[in-house]
Amino acid sequence: MIDIKGLKKSFGENVVLKGVDLSIEEREVVVIIGPSGSGKSTLLRCMNYLEEPTAGTVTVDGILLDGEANINKVREEVGMVFQRFNLFPHMTVLQNIMLAPQKVRHVSRDEAERTAKELLARVGLADKADVYPEQLSGGQQQRVAIARALAMHPKVMLFDEPTSALDPEMVGEVLDVMRSLAEEGMTMVIVTHEMGFAREVGDRLLFVDDGRIIEEGVPREVFEHPQEERTRIFLSKVL
Amino acid sequence: MSFNLDLVVSSFPLLLVGAGVTIKITAMSVALGVLIGLFVGIARISTFKPIRFLAAVYVDFIRGTPLLVQIFLVYFALPALTGQRIDPYVAAIGACSVNSGAYVAEIFRAGIQSINAGQMEAARSLGMTWTQAMRYIIVPQAFKRVIPPLGNEFIALLKDSSLVSVIGFEELTRRGQLIIAKTYSSLEIWLSVALIYLVMTLTISRFVAYLEKRFKTDDRH
Repeated sequence: MIDIKGLKKSFGENVVLKGVDLSIEEREVVVIIGPSGSGKSTLLRCMNYLEEPTAGTVTVDGILLDGEANINKVREEVGMVFQRFNLFPHMTVLQNIMLAPQKVRHVSRDEAERTAKELLARVGLADKADVYPEQLSGGQQQRVAIARALAMHPKVMLFDEPTSALDPEMVGEVLDVMRSLAEEGMTMVIVTHEMGFAREVGDRLLFVDDGRIIEEGVPREVFEHPQEERTRIFLSKVL
Repeated sequence: MSFNLDLVVSSFPLLLVGAGVTIKITAMSVALGVLIGLFVGIARISTFKPIRFLAAVYVDFIRGTPLLVQIFLVYFALPALTGQRIDPYVAAIGACSVNSGAYVAEIFRAGIQSINAGQMEAARSLGMTWTQAMRYIIVPQAFKRVIPPLGNEFIALLKDSSLVSVIGFEELTRRGQLIIAKTYSSLEIWLSVALIYLVMTLTISRFVAYLEKRFKTDDRH
C-alpha cells in the first residue's frame, strides 16, 4: 500500500530523515514510536506529501508522489488526523465532514450528508451535527476529525499523535474509535506515545530515532525484548 | 464674525447631493478595491515568484506615492500617453480603487497569514487543491479577521475621495468649494462639509463594529 525508498528530508541545515525504507501492506496497522525530534512525524507527513522529500521516493497505492496532480490523487485516498484536530472553525461539524467529498469527489449534497451522519453516529457524535467545533471537547473534536477523514473513504489513515493534545480522560474515546477502525481492516499508520495502545492494536511497531528506523517488529516482542540499545533506553523511560 | 445659519440650511440639499456622489464613488471603489486586494493579497503569498514580485511592485508603488499624484497620473498623464480623454468619473473610481486595492491587499495578506497553517494542511490532506483550500477554508476565516482593518480602510478611502475634487469631480468637497465660490462663506460651508463627512464615517464605523460582533460568535480561534 505504501512504499518508501531511501527517504531523506532536511529543513535547511537540519537533517530530519536520514534514509528510510519502509513498506506497509494493506490492512496493516503500523505504529511509530520514538523520542520527540526523532523524525517520526516528518516520516508520516511525507506519506501524503505534506512534507516534500529531499531525496528518495514515496509510492502510495501504486502512485508515485511527484507532481501536483499525483499528490491530490493520493491525498484523496489517504486520510490524515492531526494532533491539533485542525477542524474548520467556521463550519459546523456536519459541514466539516461534508465539504471534501462534495468538492473533491463531487459527491451529491444528499449523499455527502448521509455519509456524514453515518460517520458521526459511528464515532458516537450523532447529536453534534449542527454545532461548531469550538463547542466540543478535545476528544469530541478529534473524533469529528476522524469522521471527516473517513468521509473520503480513504484506503489508508495516517494519525499524527492523535491523543497528545487531549486531556487524559478523553484519550480513551479517541483510541476506541481507532481500535474499531483497525478491527475493520483499515490500513493505518499511527505516530503515538500511547504504548499500551501500540502494543494492543499494532501489527508492527517501528522505533524511530535520529532520522532512522532503529528497530521494528511485532509490538509485544519489541517491548519485551528490544534488540537495540537505543530502543531499550527509550522504552525504559516511557514504559 | 457672524454665523449665517440660513445659508447652511439652504445649501444643505446641494451638499447632500455631493455626499451621495461621495458615497457612490467610495462604494464602487471599495467593491473594486476589495476584489483587487483579494487577488493581489493572495498573489503576495503565492509560491510562484514572478507573481509575488509583480504584486509587491504594485503595492510598493501605490503605497509609496500620494493618492493625489495617482489621480493626476490617471486623469492627465494616461490620456497624454494614449490620446484618449478619460471621463472624470472613471478616473476617480479607477484611481481610488487601484489605490485602495494595494492597502486591502496588505490587509488580506496579513489576515491569510494569521490563519493557522494546520488549516491549510487539513484541507490539502483531504485532497483539496490549493485554490479550493483558499476559497473554502482560508479566505472565509481570514475575512472575519480583517473586518476591523477593512473598516478603517473604507473610512480612510471615504475621506481620501475628497481628493478627486481636484479633477473637477463634483463630490462633497467640490460641492462645498463651488458654493463658497458663490457665497464667500467659508466657515458655514466647510463646517457643514466636515459634519457630513463625520456622520458618514461614524456610520461606517458603527456598521463595522456591528459586523465584527456578529461574526465573532462562531470563530474564536
